[in-house]
Amino acid sequence: MAAISFPFETVLIANRGEIAVRIIGSLRKLGLRAAIVYHEVDAATPAVALADVAFKISGRTPVSAYLDAEQIVTAARTVGAGALHPGYGFLSENAGFARAVTAAGIAFIGPSPEAIELMGDKIRARNFVERNGFPVAPSAIEESDPSTFLARARSVGAPLLVKPSAGGGGKGMRIVRDLDLLEDAVAQARSEGQRYFGDGRLYIERYVEKPRHIEVQVLGDAFGNVVHLFERECSVQRRFQKIIEETPSPALSAQMRQRICETAAGIARAAGYRNAGTVEFIFGGGEFYFLEMNTRLQVEHPVTEMITGVDLVAEQIAIAANRPLSFRQPDISAQGHAIEARLYAESPERGFSPTSGKVLMLDYPHEQGVRVDSGIAQGQSITTAFDPMLAKVIVHAPTRDAAVAKAIRAVKDVVLLGCETNAAFLARVLADAGFRSGEVHTGYLDENPTIASGIDGDPDEVTGLLAVAALVTRPVRDAADAVPALHAAIGDWRN
Amino acid sequence: MFHKFDLGGVTHELWLAPTVNGYHLHILDGWSGPVAFAEEAAGHGSLTVAGTSKAVAFAVDGDVIHIHMRGRTRSLRYVDPLRALASVDGDDGHNVARAPMPGTVVALKVVPGDAVTAGTVLVVIESMKLETQIRASQDGIVERLHVKDGDSFDRDAILVTLSQGN
Repeated sequence: MAAISFPFETVLIANRGEIAVRIIGSLRKLGLRAAIVYHEVDAATPAVALADVAFKISGRTPVSAYLDAEQIVTAARTVGAGALHPGYGFLSENAGFARAVTAAGIAFIGPSPEAIELMGDKIRARNFVERNGFPVAPSAIEESDPSTFLARARSVGAPLLVKPSAGGGGKGMRIVRDLDLLEDAVAQARSEGQRYFGDGRLYIERYVEKPRHIEVQVLGDAFGNVVHLFERECSVQRRFQKIIEETPSPALSAQMRQRICETAAGIARAAGYRNAGTVEFIFGGGEFYFLEMNTRLQVEHPVTEMITGVDLVAEQIAIAANRPLSFRQPDISAQGHAIEARLYAESPERGFSPTSGKVLMLDYPHEQGVRVDSGIAQGQSITTAFDPMLAKVIVHAPTRDAAVAKAIRAVKDVVLLGCETNAAFLARVLADAGFRSGEVHTGYLDENPTIASGIDGDPDEVTGLLAVAALVTRPVRDAADAVPALHAAIGDWRN
Repeated sequence: MFHKFDLGGVTHELWLAPTVNGYHLHILDGWSGPVAFAEEAAGHGSLTVAGTSKAVAFAVDGDVIHIHMRGRTRSLRYVDPLRALASVDGDDGHNVARAPMPGTVVALKVVPGDAVTAGTVLVVIESMKLETQIRASQDGIVERLHVKDGDSFDRDAILVTLSQGN
C-alpha cells in the first residue's frame, strides 16, 4: 500500500488524544502530511507535537472546540488539507459535518452523509435491517395496530421486555418471563409511561438474558466491494462503557461466527456502505440480533488489526481516495487472539470517580506482541475536560489463554505515576475466573461488584509501600540518620 | 519518633532506625525488620525487605509519594508532623473548602470579604457531567478564592479559604 499515490497530500485530523496519534502513524506510513486542530489545553500533547501542522481552535469549553464544524472546516482549508479524518466521537457521526467537509471540496474519510443518517436513526436503521431480511430482536409495536398488540406481543414469546415508546433511561421498563403476567406488566408500564413521559404507548421486544455484545468490522469501497474483518467481543462493560475487548469471541462456534460476520457484511452491502464501519449485535441464547451500526472507526479497532494484519486507518484513507479494496474476503485471515484493555483516568475502587493529576512518570510495557496506543506524555496534566480514556493496551498471542496472561502482564507493567488509573482493576478483570472461562455478559461487572471495589489488605504489599515511602521521604530518613549508630545497633534489643 | 503516612484513608505510623548495613523499619502494630532501598536511576530502584528484592518506580510530588511495585500503583501521603501540629493547635481561624473530586469550576458564588453561614454555597463545580455545590462547613468570612471560573482542579485541591472573622 505504501507505493500508491493520493489525490491529496495533507489530511486534517479533527480529533485529539490517542486516536489522533494513531491516525498520524498511518499517514506517515502512507507518506501523507498530518495536520491537526487542537484546543489550547491540548497544546502539550503528543498528537500536536507529532503533527506536521497544528491549527488552534477555541470554544466555550475544550470539548465544544472539537465540536465546532465551522472552525474545523476553516482549519482544513487554511492548512490546505485535501481530506479529513474525524476519528471517533466528536463530529465523526455527524452527517451535517460530513456534508460541510465534502462541500468544501475536502474528502471526508468516512461513509456518505446518507449512510450516517440512516444508521444514526435507530428506528430507521432497525427497519432497514429487518426489511433486508437480517435478524432484529422480535418485537411488537403497539401503534402499528393497538387492537392486536397483546396477541402480537404473545407471539414474540417470553422473556419479553416491555418499554414505553417514548422512553429512555430504563424508566417504565419491565421484564416479563411468564406470559400470564403480560397483561399486568403492560398495564403497569403504560401507567408509568404516562407518568414519566406523558405518553402511554408501548413497545415490546424479546429480552435477551445475559446478553453479550458482539460486533463485526466491515470495510466497503466506492465500487460496491464489502468485506468483513471478523468480530470483536465487547461484553466487559460498565454502564455501556466498554472496558475490555477481544477477538475472536470466546462465545461463538465457527459456524455462528461465519453467520454473524456474513450478516454484518450483508447489512453493509445492502446499505451501499463505503469506508470502515462496525455492525453491533446482541448475542444470547444462541441467537443474535442487530443492535446498531457505528459509521466510523471504533476505539477497539486495534484488536482486529492485530489478528488480520490490516491497517484499518490506511484502508479508510485509500477508500476515501477512491481506490478499490486491495483484497477480497478470501484474502483476509485471522491469526491468534487479541485483547485490548482500556486505561482510564478513573478509580474503580471509589465508584469509578474520575481522577486527575500531572503525569510524573510514564513507562509502557515493551514486549513482542504488545501494542500501546497512547495520547499522553510525561509532564502532561490529566484533567476532567475530556473523556477519561488515556491509552489502550493491546496484546496478541497464539491462543486466548496466552493472550490473557500477556494482557495481565502488560497492564501490570504500565507505570503511570501522578494520576490514579484503573490499571489494577483491568488486571483483576483479566484474572477473574468468569472472564478467563469466557462466560461474561454486559451485566457481568455489575453482578460482581468486588472486581471493581478490589480487596485490599495484602499486608506484604502495605509493608513494601511503607518501606519505600519511609526510605524516600527525607524527614523520615534524616530522623533515622540523626540517631547515633551505636545506639541504633541495639535497637532490636530495646524492644 | 513516629512518622505518619496515609494510604487509602488509613494512617500508618512507623519509624526507621539505622543499622550497620541499612535500616530497620518499625511499623506501629505491624511488621518490623530490615529494609533497604537502592536508587538505580531517577525514580527507579530496588527495595529489599527481609532479604527479598523488588523493582520499584516512584515519584515524589510534595508530600505525596507515588509508587509502582508488583504491578500496582499506589499513592501515599506523608503527614508532616510540623504541619499536622500547626493545624491542630494553631487554630488560626482558617477553614478551607476542598474539592471532593477533580473537576472544573462552573460558578463562584462568593467574593472575598463575604460573610457566610454554614451551608452557604461557595462554588459550583462540574465533574462527571454533574454539577455539585461546595458549601461552607462553618460560619466565617471568605478570605480567599483559590480558583476562578473555568479552572480545572484535582481532588482535594483547596477551592476557598474562610476565616472565622471574630
